[in-house]
Amino acid sequence: MSKREAKRPVSEEETEQRRIAEQLDKQKAFYENILNKLPTDIAVFDADHRYLFVNPGAISKEEYRKYIIGKDDYEYAAYRNRDVSVAHARRAKFLEAKQTGKEIRWEDTLTDPQGNMITHLRRMFPVFDQNGELSLVIGFGIDITDRKLMEVKQAALVDQLSKQNTQLMDFCSIVSHNLRAPLVNMSMLVEFIEATDDPVEQRLLISKLRPVIDNLHATFNELVESIQIRQDLEIKKENVCLNECVKRTIGGLETEINKLGARIETDFSEVSVIHYPPQYLNSIIHNLISNSLKYHYPGRPPVIRIRTRKADDKIVLSVEDNGLGIDLEKHRDNFFKIGKVFHRHPNAKGFGLYMTKTHVEAMGGRIWVESVPDQGSTFFIEFENRIKQAS
Amino acid sequence: MKSIFLIDDDPIFVYLTRRIIASIDRQCKINEFTDGDLAIRYLEQICEKPELLPDIIFMDISMPVMDGWEFLNQYSRLRPRIKKDIALFIVSSSISPQEVERSKSYRAVSDFLIKPLERGKIVEIIDSARETAG
Repeated sequence: MSKREAKRPVSEEETEQRRIAEQLDKQKAFYENILNKLPTDIAVFDADHRYLFVNPGAISKEEYRKYIIGKDDYEYAAYRNRDVSVAHARRAKFLEAKQTGKEIRWEDTLTDPQGNMITHLRRMFPVFDQNGELSLVIGFGIDITDRKLMEVKQAALVDQLSKQNTQLMDFCSIVSHNLRAPLVNMSMLVEFIEATDDPVEQRLLISKLRPVIDNLHATFNELVESIQIRQDLEIKKENVCLNECVKRTIGGLETEINKLGARIETDFSEVSVIHYPPQYLNSIIHNLISNSLKYHYPGRPPVIRIRTRKADDKIVLSVEDNGLGIDLEKHRDNFFKIGKVFHRHPNAKGFGLYMTKTHVEAMGGRIWVESVPDQGSTFFIEFENRIKQAS
Repeated sequence: MKSIFLIDDDPIFVYLTRRIIASIDRQCKINEFTDGDLAIRYLEQICEKPELLPDIIFMDISMPVMDGWEFLNQYSRLRPRIKKDIALFIVSSSISPQEVERSKSYRAVSDFLIKPLERGKIVEIIDSARETAG
């Protein structure tokens, strides 16, 4: 009886052990299955950064997966004949996680064998035992290439939107300042006309309406033109010869040039042809030269130097003068806005530079100015377009 | 006798405002400046002569050479030296709320008025200037 009794628990224990072992195997298979099926990279390291486990998401080939267990990234890089820099980078991250004892995350971008950029978001977190000793470091990574590409697209979109928003703000300010002002004047004049019975008085007031209407008309036309330019994406570009363009402008401004004794020097040795809508380029050159003439320094014959140079794949055109110049500290924000005038000049309307900026930006270019008051200004225009070599 | 400075480059607006002021108070003395620079230079010269300083300034924002904001910057620096209590009004054709907000950051600014400037408003301003002066 005692033997039987003694035997029974053993057999029960055995069954129990077998049951537990089966259970454990099942559980192991269950968890391994999960880890292996997860569509992310999972790797587990010991405290010395040696691999304890990798899932097929991290290394798809079983042969490599078997090899890497017990090895580190340096051995694996040598085995796979890979650049050691990846191993260096990963070791640095591992040490960071180990030393800080905190989870770290970073993004890394690799080029796959097909030459595509692949970006992963990687995380590593240390696991400590009861004694506070580092027992494991778990690393995992998810492929965020799609998100990364979206981010690039989004950044471009945000850039475009913010440009358009600036244009919209400019437009609002034009409507508010430059269109509303003459309208207010007109309505006030009309009120005065209505309030008086004196015909002489009425005629005087009516005569004051004309310049207001002309001003409104001019601003309105400039505005409409600038909107058309910004919307006309189909405008035809041609190879425009800068020398001819400048010659034409000088022809148009001959009287003014002779009167002031102005000298215009050109140097188009680096770039002589620009692929651009001809009427835009003519307008740009005309506006800049006539500005330099208009704002010449009193008593000093204007000298205007126009030149081009190559800057990477872009072309920079500069127009330098020895005129009045401008205090950029005060006026930088307003420089190219419509209706902004910086000098007391009877013909200053503030349209020229606004149109020039429109002509430049509509084609993806940039315009800026450097200036010293009383010494002169230099306008720079960067053209996005390469020259189309006439073949 | 009240004295008013009009700082505005718009000749029509200045002409009409002059007429309105004259119709309210024939005695009013009016000085015109077509930009902020001309006005601030004159104010610098006369800042210690209350008999030459204005009671009221009406000033536009959008002006050539020196706009209203720059004028306000310089005027604020000059103010401690100005020997008179001057009521300064921005008179702008702009309806932009940002500009109204911005004008509030200047203690020198009494109010932001949007053009057209109504006769009733000018009457009110001249009257209140008269009270403080009288």
